[in-house]
Amino acid sequence: MLLPRRVPLLSFILLVVGANADSFENTAIVRTVDLGGSVVQVATTFAVKALEANARVYTIALGDAEMQKTSWLEARVKGQATPLAVTDHPGSTDNGVHLVDIILPKPLALNATLNIILDAIQTHATFPWPERASQQEPQSLKYGSDLFVLSPYKTLVQRTKIKSPTPNIHGFSTPEKMEDFTFEEPVTKSGATITYGPYNNIVPSANAAFVKKYQRPVQVHFEYDYPVGEVSKLLRTAEISHWGANLNIQDEIWLRNAGPELKGHFSRLEHQTQAFYNRAASHVIPGLTLHLPAGIRNTYYYDLVGNVSTSRLRTAPSVPKDSPNKQYSVLELKPRYPIMGGWNYSFTLGWDAPLADSASWDKSTGKYIVEIPVLTPFPATVVNDAELKIILPEGATDVDFATPFVAHSTSFSTHTTYLDTTGRPAITLRFTDLTEKHALPLYVSYKVPLSAHLKKPIAVAVAFFSVFVFGLAARRIDLRIHQK
Amino acid sequence: MDYTQLQSLYIATPAFQPLVPVALLPYLAFFLLLTTFTLGFYVSTLPKDTIPVRETAVATLASVLGGFGVVAMFCTAGVYV
Repeated sequence: MLLPRRVPLLSFILLVVGANADSFENTAIVRTVDLGGSVVQVATTFAVKALEANARVYTIALGDAEMQKTSWLEARVKGQATPLAVTDHPGSTDNGVHLVDIILPKPLALNATLNIILDAIQTHATFPWPERASQQEPQSLKYGSDLFVLSPYKTLVQRTKIKSPTPNIHGFSTPEKMEDFTFEEPVTKSGATITYGPYNNIVPSANAAFVKKYQRPVQVHFEYDYPVGEVSKLLRTAEISHWGANLNIQDEIWLRNAGPELKGHFSRLEHQTQAFYNRAASHVIPGLTLHLPAGIRNTYYYDLVGNVSTSRLRTAPSVPKDSPNKQYSVLELKPRYPIMGGWNYSFTLGWDAPLADSASWDKSTGKYIVEIPVLTPFPATVVNDAELKIILPEGATDVDFATPFVAHSTSFSTHTTYLDTTGRPAITLRFTDLTEKHALPLYVSYKVPLSAHLKKPIAVAVAFFSVFVFGLAARRIDLRIHQK
Repeated sequence: MDYTQLQSLYIATPAFQPLVPVALLPYLAFFLLLTTFTLGFYVSTLPKDTIPVRETAVATLASVLGGFGVVAMFCTAGVYV
């Protein structure tokens, strides 16, 4: 398996060192899980001690289930903001345990200590329980995880803290037969935090034997007071126009309420009562607030029925591409109907932006470089399937692109639209399980010679000329009925 | 090129500038299409020679101006071609 597809692409360094159990020792591992709706944040802090000199590569382990759910992984040294390079450990796909290497900024001396923080975002880690709920009932979710944080090194003490947004926790798993690791309560609850641990003296656990003997799933059943949304499909089209100096971005969004399905019929009366008394309704998605780029114009928001007028847009003025200030236009949109549990709503949102804010021209090579954001961040929402289609100007050659994280698939096609003769080259990229953290730009570079640029006016000129030729011929034909 | 290389190239190079400034496009569209229209009428008044040299010349000029005029008109209308 190559680099896990959702791990951010950082500099690639080929490793020779294996996950030697004697290179490091974990003095403490603390995993903090911030429970959410469709997106859960996990921060694991490894307090590491080097057992050999010049140790440069630290290996972490993730179980199968955890790997499936993890859609963003970033490692950094505690106190520093720059992320560390993360790569796959060579030959690491067996035994249901995946190993990932983190390259430390400086080699550690013997017995030196370091704190490494691993930030991960898990998607589809929670599911609604009970699966169906009526409008008056509260919304509850279940979160599942593995009990132990696996590591190829010996761990002296380990604990997992699961933080729920409210103290209303209905229940949580209590692990049994934990005498090997602790003589106290294996799990404790304090307010809105459930702590599994501390567990002492854990042998190197990144192997099938440990997983089979000790690893087990734990679940937390908690009440969640915010709407749980997911975008089941996102189709983004970015069209570049050189004649109009314009970048058009259009999103087709299939939004779904991933909370418990609505039980019974939808009562408009009940819904209006809740709105009137300002009762927080966690089971319905009333609307979305999106942060769109600055300098947009001609924004449109429509669905299958037509234009949707229940939206408010506050645009930010256009910022030049080199400006460090990040400004956003804010769009508050309300769907045609409140999205209850299990309901879907699909709509199209698009806008135009000046191309000068997103494109540059390299005179020495004659290349244009365009920056296109992969997606608009949807707050606390996962995008299951995203497809990004970048339509380049007609006659673009030497196309090269780079994505901030690995794409599921890439393909090239030709897109034909207004005033096209040969069609425009289009790049289609597919991604899965994207979150707010994935709202990064990707870069495309291409060349457009002047002759390709002039294809459009020449094509229209040829059309005009054919009309003139017809006119010239028609002038010379006499259709009069002669009267001699 | 990889991601960081393309990103630094993007930041280092100057912003995109179109061949024709965007603010000029509506006026360009108007005048070019007006000229095309006028020349079209003019072509119809020219004498019918055996070898239509003059007519073809004026027709070509009208077509080329019309081509650019239509592209400018599309951009003015919001269809960024």
